Amino acid sequence: MSAPASVAILAGAVLSALAGVGLLRLRTPFGRLHAAGKASPAAFLLVASGAAIETGWAGAARLLAAAGGLLLTVPVGVHLLFRAVHRVGATEQLSRDDLSRKDHNQ
Amino acid sequence: MVVTVALACFAAAAACALVRLVIGPTLADRVAALDVALISLMCAIATGAAARRSVVELDLLVVIAAVAFTATIAASRFIEHERGDRSDREATR
Repeated sequence: MSAPASVAILAGAVLSALAGVGLLRLRTPFGRLHAAGKASPAAFLLVASGAAIETGWAGAARLLAAAGGLLLTVPVGVHLLFRAVHRVGATEQLSRDDLSRKDHNQ
Repeated sequence: MVVTVALACFAAAAACALVRLVIGPTLADRVAALDVALISLMCAIATGAAARRSVVELDLLVVIAAVAFTATIAASRFIEHERGDRSDREATR
């Protein structure tokens, strides 16, 4: 495996492991969704760029489609989860809650 | 060597996500844990394809990326829908 592909895949692997650790260790549901929704698509983007170097144009096209779809859908899905958790009322652990204060949650 | 280390990191992330899937405590945590486990699996598939310079299994990644978010959206709609009834709300926490 070439050096740039190795670096990209290892960086993605470290970021993916950090997403798992954040999902396990953070204390509030909002913090855990934050770790899950941002780090893991970024990790897949790094791994896909490394794999695209190795697999050539045919693989790069498929990886681009997968990474684009993931980058479009995962933040949206996690945002909906954020909103659902907020509406159900897991806000007692927050030190500040601008979403309730401005009454945007109706 | 690189592939082994990367696959170990993906396995560690998936293991953390599965622990969070078991211990909860809210339904949203479990859904997010399934997302992280699935993306770790996608990363592992991409790494395996890069190691073997094979294109065949990359079609799988496209399908997973196109389908995976529907479960997240369905679960979030479910959590919001159940907020009115207190007994059901306790069941979804």
